[in-house]
Amino acid sequence: MIEIKNLTFSYLNAEGKPKAEVPQLNRVNLTIEPGEFVLVCGPTGSGKSTFLKTLNGLAPNFTGGVITGELLINSVNYLGAEPHELSHLVGYVNQQPEGAFVADIVLDEIVYSAEQLAISREQIDSDVERLSKMLGLEELLKSPLSTLSGGQQQRVAIAAALISGAKVLLLDEPTSALDLEGATEVLNLLQRLAREEGVSVLLAEHRISRVIGSVDSVIVVHGDGSVTMGKPAEQFNDARFAPPIIELGQQLGWNPLAMTTKQAQGLWKQAPSAFKEKQLNQPGDRVLEVIDLEVSFGSISAVKKTSLTLFGNQITALMGENGSGKTSLCWAIQGSGTRTSGSVKTNSGDPKNLSVQDRLSITTMVPQRAADLLFLNSLADELQESDTLENVPAGTTANLFQKLAGRIDSSIHPRDLSAGQQLSLVLSLQLVKNAPVLILDEPTRGLDYAAKRALAKQLDQLRDAKRSVLLATHDIEFVAMVADRVLVLKDGVIVEDASPLSVLASGQELASQIAEVTNQAGLITIGQVLN
Amino acid sequence: MSAGAMLTVWLCRDDAPWSRSIRFYLFLGGIVVLLRVIFRVVFNLADANQDVFISLPSISIDLGLGNSLHLLGIVSVISIQAALVDGFQLAAIILSIGMASSLANPRKLLRATPGALYEIATAVSIAINLAPQLIASLKLVRRARGLRGHSKGIKSLTGIIIPVLEDTIEQSMQLAASMSARGFGRKGNRTQLQLQLIRVATFLTLTFLTVGVAMLLFSPAEQYLDLTVIVAGIVLAGFTLKLSSSRTIRTTYIIQRWQIADLVIVVSGVLILLAAFNGVFSK
Repeated sequence: MIEIKNLTFSYLNAEGKPKAEVPQLNRVNLTIEPGEFVLVCGPTGSGKSTFLKTLNGLAPNFTGGVITGELLINSVNYLGAEPHELSHLVGYVNQQPEGAFVADIVLDEIVYSAEQLAISREQIDSDVERLSKMLGLEELLKSPLSTLSGGQQQRVAIAAALISGAKVLLLDEPTSALDLEGATEVLNLLQRLAREEGVSVLLAEHRISRVIGSVDSVIVVHGDGSVTMGKPAEQFNDARFAPPIIELGQQLGWNPLAMTTKQAQGLWKQAPSAFKEKQLNQPGDRVLEVIDLEVSFGSISAVKKTSLTLFGNQITALMGENGSGKTSLCWAIQGSGTRTSGSVKTNSGDPKNLSVQDRLSITTMVPQRAADLLFLNSLADELQESDTLENVPAGTTANLFQKLAGRIDSSIHPRDLSAGQQLSLVLSLQLVKNAPVLILDEPTRGLDYAAKRALAKQLDQLRDAKRSVLLATHDIEFVAMVADRVLVLKDGVIVEDASPLSVLASGQELASQIAEVTNQAGLITIGQVLN
Repeated sequence: MSAGAMLTVWLCRDDAPWSRSIRFYLFLGGIVVLLRVIFRVVFNLADANQDVFISLPSISIDLGLGNSLHLLGIVSVISIQAALVDGFQLAAIILSIGMASSLANPRKLLRATPGALYEIATAVSIAINLAPQLIASLKLVRRARGLRGHSKGIKSLTGIIIPVLEDTIEQSMQLAASMSARGFGRKGNRTQLQLQLIRVATFLTLTFLTVGVAMLLFSPAEQYLDLTVIVAGIVLAGFTLKLSSSRTIRTTYIIQRWQIADLVIVVSGVLILLAAFNGVFSK
């Protein structure tokens, strides 16, 4: 159905020459069959998105760059065609559906593409009925898009992409902003689309472990220009993005590797390995106390009367579904966000009542949209600005950044850094401030396993320096790796405050993969497994 | 008229992000009125025959150009009145634009535009969308900047402006890409000739309409010529719409029905327009 021959793609620099010596995608050859469910993965910044975009013309038409080779869909070469000339063949869904919606009401959004393609009203009627039934949207057709949950929005986006009659569906990290339930819902649906409707599904995804059991094949975008395709078991030699379940198999020498939790459970039972106890840090001094904090926006109450204490020498994870109030709570604690009532106690007073500069000497934060903190034209300028701002010797921030991200050409524009590098940059700008409390809101979004491990190491060092870290996240495996304590927020109320060993244990709602596979009390993360 | 605009906004507004931008326009309107009055007081042409509003010490500056420049001095009631009227006129125009941009849902506007006017409609809807989006993004970026600390001098300004602009442009590009990926802008089975014809017709229509209105406003003497140009523009518009909204290119599945509110708005708009014409012609 889709056949790619010698596809080569390069981004161009300001002078119109290829940006790098090696093209982003170099001489790619592969074939995707009808009804094939394909996982597209690779390290952070390797070009997964670019690869997907070349398949429907968004690259190079909307990204810039040059493309050569052949892109055959049903034996017609569409290389370089505008996306709208391909819209009846290929549907596209991106990471944040709310930014891509063209209408306000679910039904209007779904039929948009059909209207553009001049599909008859009768045909649209029956397609809407079929798709809304399949995607569970029948009750929602008249609802405003803004009132839907993230998972529902993603399902609308999928329906809207398929109404054109497209038999190929491209999805660029559709679950990265969803909680566990929303993500599972979307992934199950994609599998059904491939099996029952014969749609070829290409899914770029970081949560490899959740999908690896249900895909037919895996495409790896390696980052050096090469792109390979094969069976799931053959594709994960690169530890930069191997999910925990594969890593476990590799570490214990399983052959063949287990792809699903069930397979892994069987193999583990045959030969369980020894493991070391997880070291949880004892809490240090009390550094911040939240008392009866409430946050509401108009009539919506985001955080309800919440009290909690943060200790030094401890990493506290704040978990909970989308919309449970994690972000509002983080901003309110930091002191610059909305607060309806309640207070925060620290040694220097309530951060809310302090000047911006004094507040930052107590509570610093890396927000979800980390790039909003960057505004200068080069990495060097950003690092230097930070040194001036904090009155520290020149090069202090640069040193911190290099520890986190390695050596990077400092003339690069901050917007050209990868998601992980931007996070490292903002993190180092905040660390220089030396505040006793650091708040991180969804820091692992868009990071591969290698980048996550680097971040975990950095957080460990902070903890050892007696700081208190508050980490709001969906990422169970990351929490298993770093957290000393887990708070679970539900509808604006803290419903659980316990050790990760119990919250992430097998059988719990937030069970980690390793806990599920091994079903052994006290074992939640791969770092504990000995061999 | 401003009160009318405000009332409409207040009645029709909803919780959509663009609805809140009216405050920004109100603020702008207030500034305009204030500036007008201040300028009138500072660059005052004293006239002894008028009622005195306020008497200020006069400052004379000799610029060496013959006449010396008089600032402040005796301010008459009439000049303040004139300044207020001027200011309020401008403020009313700003508010009306503000009202349009805070109520008009740019996506509905785009949906309602016929076939080949798409290129223009896209530009217009992005333009209308820009101010509210800038304001929404400004809020987020300002909050985030609080986490970085205060930079000094020009950097404190660029620290807000650059991320806001980048964010706004990125959002617009994302919307454009999404629309294209879903078939927006397809030429369908139209020939190159038809496409060219539609473009020329669109251009002519817009030219006639703009020139007609401008002539009516600035040289009311030749009223029949103005009217002829405008009527020609309207006829051309009808022809262009017919030409461009061929059924084989697009289906209209969602039909937006007329509601009483729409009718009231259109009728009152036409009435105001007629009143304005009447004013122009009776001069």
